[in-house]
Amino acid sequence: MSEMSVSISDEQIVSRLLDDIHVEEGVRLLMRKYGEPLYWHLRRMVVSHDDAEDALQETMINVYKYRSTYSREYQLSSWLYKIATNEALKLLKQKTSEFQSVDDLGDSLKDSVRSEASPDADEALILLQEAIALLPTKQKLVFNLRYYEEKSYEEIHDILGDSVNTLKTNYHYAANKIKEYITEHSL
Amino acid sequence: MKDFENIGREMPYRMPEHFMDDMTERVLAEIRKEQQVQPAVRRKVSPMRYICAAAAGVAAVVMLVAHPFSMNDNAFPDYESISQCDNIDEVFQKMSTDDLGLYSMMSNYYGD
Repeated sequence: MSEMSVSISDEQIVSRLLDDIHVEEGVRLLMRKYGEPLYWHLRRMVVSHDDAEDALQETMINVYKYRSTYSREYQLSSWLYKIATNEALKLLKQKTSEFQSVDDLGDSLKDSVRSEASPDADEALILLQEAIALLPTKQKLVFNLRYYEEKSYEEIHDILGDSVNTLKTNYHYAANKIKEYITEHSL
Repeated sequence: MKDFENIGREMPYRMPEHFMDDMTERVLAEIRKEQQVQPAVRRKVSPMRYICAAAAGVAAVVMLVAHPFSMNDNAFPDYESISQCDNIDEVFQKMSTDDLGLYSMMSNYYGD
């Protein structure tokens, strides 16, 4: 995140988003501060750049459409991650067949990791993403939000709605499965 | 077991150059489109049009269901006179209580 983006307060963004005259400026500030973190959150979920791009665009349009429903009780970032997560899940659901759930996409997402990785990417980084791709969706979300976004369990609760204890259990299972996968597949 | 903490938080993917700037412009273009569409969607349609359309629909259904063999029955207003909607009150007065009940049910189901 750039220094400029850090200096933008959420209140500045929200007040502009809620003001029809300054809404475009609000969207620009929002993109500057949260565009990249949301992109990477989506990319970790959907793996392909094209899908992350679609999901990010839909997220931002939904933020614009439903901006009046935002409650200042919650952190702006929690609201944004909630919308982005829904968009990612919606997009993944579209990829499933009639009797499949999003959890069944693990293998195809894992295969995409390698094809999407940059040619000079470290093998360990690819392995880690493959292990994450194979996790059940809830564990994957909790792991990503905790490990990569460094969010507290309370914030993750605001985003996903599960109790803190459930989230901790999900993280614990996810971390163990990832360690097992890495151990098994490392040279 | 090997720990992922040693691997770090970097991603093996790249984000295309200028992606965020392009995305910002694309989102703003979509928002401008939304802003232009909204007034058209909100254009007020005369309530009389809804009444005409509902009355015409009800008349057609009632004629077919209640009077399948007497399409020329003069006791019930013909389709043309309803669609012209010159005097909608008169049309409703000529409807039976059952017909009005059916209209009310349809209005509730499809909304006004």
